[in-house]
Amino acid sequence: MPLKSYEHCCSTMQAMASLGKIEGVIPILHAPQPCIYEIQIGTMCCRPSRLLTMGTLIERGEIIFGGEENLKRQIMNVYHTYQPKVIVVLNTCVPQLIGEDVKGVIADLKEELKGCKVTYCDTGFKYPIAMATGNDVCWASIVDIMEPHQRMDGSIGLLGRSGTDAGAFSSLTTFLREADIPYFTFPASHIDEMEKITRAHLLYPIHIVPYLTSKKISDKSSALVNYSEIPSGVEGTTRFLRSIADQLGSQKLHDTVDRKEKEIMPQWENVKVTFSKKPLRVLHSGGPASEFSMGKILAELGAEVFLVPTMKNPFAKKEREMLAERYQVTFIDEEFDTLSDLLDTYRPDVVFTEFQGQIEVTPRFTPAFINMMYLSEYGYDFALDFGRNFHEAMKSPVYRKWEELLKRYRGNAYG
Amino acid sequence: MAKVKAGTDREKRLQVSEIHRPSAFEGALWAVMGIKDAHTVFHSPSGCYINQHQNALMNDLFEMYTSHLSYGDVLHGARETLEKTLQKLIAKGPPAIFIVTSPTVEIVKDDVEGVVEKLDYEKSVVIHPPIGGTVHKGKEEGFLSLISLMDEKVEKKEKSVNLIGPTYSVFNWKADLEELRRMLFEIGVSVNAVITADSTMQQIISAPAAMCNICVYPFDCGVTFAQKMQEKFGIPYLADTIPIGFSESARWVEEIASFFNLGVKTYLKGEIENGFRLIRSGSIFTVTFETPIALSLENHNTYAVGISHFFKEELGIEICFAAVGDEEVGTKVQEVSGNVSVSPTIDEKRKQYEETSPLLIMGNFYDLKVSKDLGFLNFLFADIPTISFLATENGPYMGFRGASYLIQQVVNQVYINLFIETKGEMEGQISLGEVRWSSSAENALRKIAEMIPHFIRTKSVKKLQKKAEERAHQEKSEVTLEIFKTIAEEYTPTRFKTKFLEVFEEDWSKLPFSMEWDEEAREMLYMVPSEFKAKAVLGTEEYAQKHNYTRVTSQVVNEYRKELGF
Repeated sequence: MPLKSYEHCCSTMQAMASLGKIEGVIPILHAPQPCIYEIQIGTMCCRPSRLLTMGTLIERGEIIFGGEENLKRQIMNVYHTYQPKVIVVLNTCVPQLIGEDVKGVIADLKEELKGCKVTYCDTGFKYPIAMATGNDVCWASIVDIMEPHQRMDGSIGLLGRSGTDAGAFSSLTTFLREADIPYFTFPASHIDEMEKITRAHLLYPIHIVPYLTSKKISDKSSALVNYSEIPSGVEGTTRFLRSIADQLGSQKLHDTVDRKEKEIMPQWENVKVTFSKKPLRVLHSGGPASEFSMGKILAELGAEVFLVPTMKNPFAKKEREMLAERYQVTFIDEEFDTLSDLLDTYRPDVVFTEFQGQIEVTPRFTPAFINMMYLSEYGYDFALDFGRNFHEAMKSPVYRKWEELLKRYRGNAYG
Repeated sequence: MAKVKAGTDREKRLQVSEIHRPSAFEGALWAVMGIKDAHTVFHSPSGCYINQHQNALMNDLFEMYTSHLSYGDVLHGARETLEKTLQKLIAKGPPAIFIVTSPTVEIVKDDVEGVVEKLDYEKSVVIHPPIGGTVHKGKEEGFLSLISLMDEKVEKKEKSVNLIGPTYSVFNWKADLEELRRMLFEIGVSVNAVITADSTMQQIISAPAAMCNICVYPFDCGVTFAQKMQEKFGIPYLADTIPIGFSESARWVEEIASFFNLGVKTYLKGEIENGFRLIRSGSIFTVTFETPIALSLENHNTYAVGISHFFKEELGIEICFAAVGDEEVGTKVQEVSGNVSVSPTIDEKRKQYEETSPLLIMGNFYDLKVSKDLGFLNFLFADIPTISFLATENGPYMGFRGASYLIQQVVNQVYINLFIETKGEMEGQISLGEVRWSSSAENALRKIAEMIPHFIRTKSVKKLQKKAEERAHQEKSEVTLEIFKTIAEEYTPTRFKTKFLEVFEEDWSKLPFSMEWDEEAREMLYMVPSEFKAKAVLGTEEYAQKHNYTRVTSQVVNEYRKELGF
């Protein structure tokens, strides 16, 4: 195993952050204090201040003798204080380890909680590799308690990755609207909106993450799951939209895509020229599955992309095959102790990583991008804007300036 | 004297509240991760490691490693995983390796010591933070673990001290340390070692060379460690004085000088004269005498005691509310404030901020969020969690420069925002001629004036008067109570709104309430302009009934607002 981990957070924190954005849902963290504290502060920037992190296992005795009683009381507290529509218990490492009967607690309270559904998901070290799986399992737990709605034939359900995606669908839905294709999106900013996903006839995941979620929705509503590809980059977006158009036989959607391509291609080709003049080796060291989507944009633009994948579900496998074949992306599966080892081996010009990685990359004066800052990577406009500004955003002169400074005053830049 | 409001019982913990206090696991990690050349391993699942590393990287630069425990490791024993991790680190040849166990390991009681023994790397230390322990308890465990690595035969260094307490992730440790070093340097005392932030293993090993130990944060951690060092190495310690404010900083210097038999009169004369020069300037007391401040320092007990006494005793600041970490500290703070709570929930703090209307809040990220929700403009960070708040060595709160810096920050915050808040315009009519006021409006203006802090009273009253007269002039009327109320609502800083609007309370009886409203929901109506209040009441109640609510709560109001697109 490596000596460090380069993900942004654990699957529990990711589940917390995603659920915390959905109105009508309150997550309860069934966890000991250090876990609650870290997750609370790690998600504070992405949740409203009124949304509180409720903890359950605080003291040693509660861990030894079980925290079911606390969990019950906390569920009732939340129910009486906020009357949420859904409470999700995030069952973390420690309660899993001591064998807490979360299902039993939920069953016991069922009668007392009028108008509120309680569900749970196991997170933590059940999903040690990809933080993004925290999204998938928490969405799946929400699907578990959804009431199926009547199906709308010919409609599309777009399945996103995280809570952030609730605000990122418009780069795709604009085209569906123009082509008069009814659609539903998941996640959405309110639980009532999310429930409508069960009306969709065809489910199109827009990222590799919601594998379990898509299966659960499909089980509930008999919708067909069509994983096309991540609609990132120009080619990816076009293929994604055309896949829907083909499936529905919608010439109107094909026409809309044609029009957009005509508008965007000259600019996109110009960006490609810039990339060909300044060839880049890009290393994506993990990410919340964004290594696939961001890597795809850069690979389409002509960068040589090296990618440490965080996800291995069937959607990820399909995307991986496509990236390798279409753009010759190199996947790094072998173990490495620290990112520095990869930097030595692959010598990238730019690295996508997290803060734990950035502290290793910066002393080499290599530009580093933080994965979590690039999470709405769908559609044409994002790709174009990202590509146009990429070289400037690397801020290479700043790194050179510091390299010179250290050389001059410390005697060497790489001390 | 009123009793300190305690709130640490089991019932309270299970209230719906923010968990904003780190645990012993953070404490132990923070205590050792600051030793720059040592390696710290968090013996934990990857997720715990990532969260700890990421969050602490927001405050300080350091490396940390993990054993990546999996579910299987925990069930079948994690010896092998830990062994492999340690072997890789030992190969790097660090001067020490600290292994901090995670809650999972503490539950399954994995044989960590057995692995360490097997690998036989002399400078390996295992720390078991206590489950349920405080962050300070965890730090103390971390500090105590260092004693076994120290060299008791090291040669004594004349006129040198160890500074015990600063660790990574403590608010402002770097700036405080820099200032304390400067003060010690000025009186001819050197710092032998810092336990532990930014120290090296050699400094830790040579810690017994110091003549005296000084506990920098005695209300938080380090005292037990200092006592152990006294027992083992015969090094006395000082832990009675917190160098915050001019007076206590001088006393701190005097105590150290007395220990080493040094003359410090000239030095202290200069520092105190310098401080008084600042105090004499026109703006300081004008602001501080009229600035009630709320302190929310539950993770920084030493700051809570030091800052509250400095503010009250040397600056005349009223501490209108203080949240502290434990009852002992609460009692100390209560010497200068009549309103002290131990670990209040965020909702209790929210209520206190509304009730006491501080002109400035000092606290952590949660306090910042709540203060912005409530419309308080003046805020200073003084505690963790801070979330990406950058603290360098430049802004101490301790020592003489810390005292000056705190004054600078408080006065600037209040003054700058005062000018912004009064919404002064560059253009506007100079005179409208005489505009008459109805007696009820005049009465209301007088009542409101009495509620405004003195040093902003003239400016604020003038502003309200001018705006009310402009409105009356436009409407070709005298200033009526209705006009003045609208103006007061529009131009009153949010923090004063609840208070000010009591003046117009009689109007509430005219609103068409037919359902029961809870207090918070009613207070939200203050934000609605007068002319829309009745409509808002009717609309909200209609919404509540439609959705089968039996009473109007703040949640109902929020839902209705959302439905309207606000």
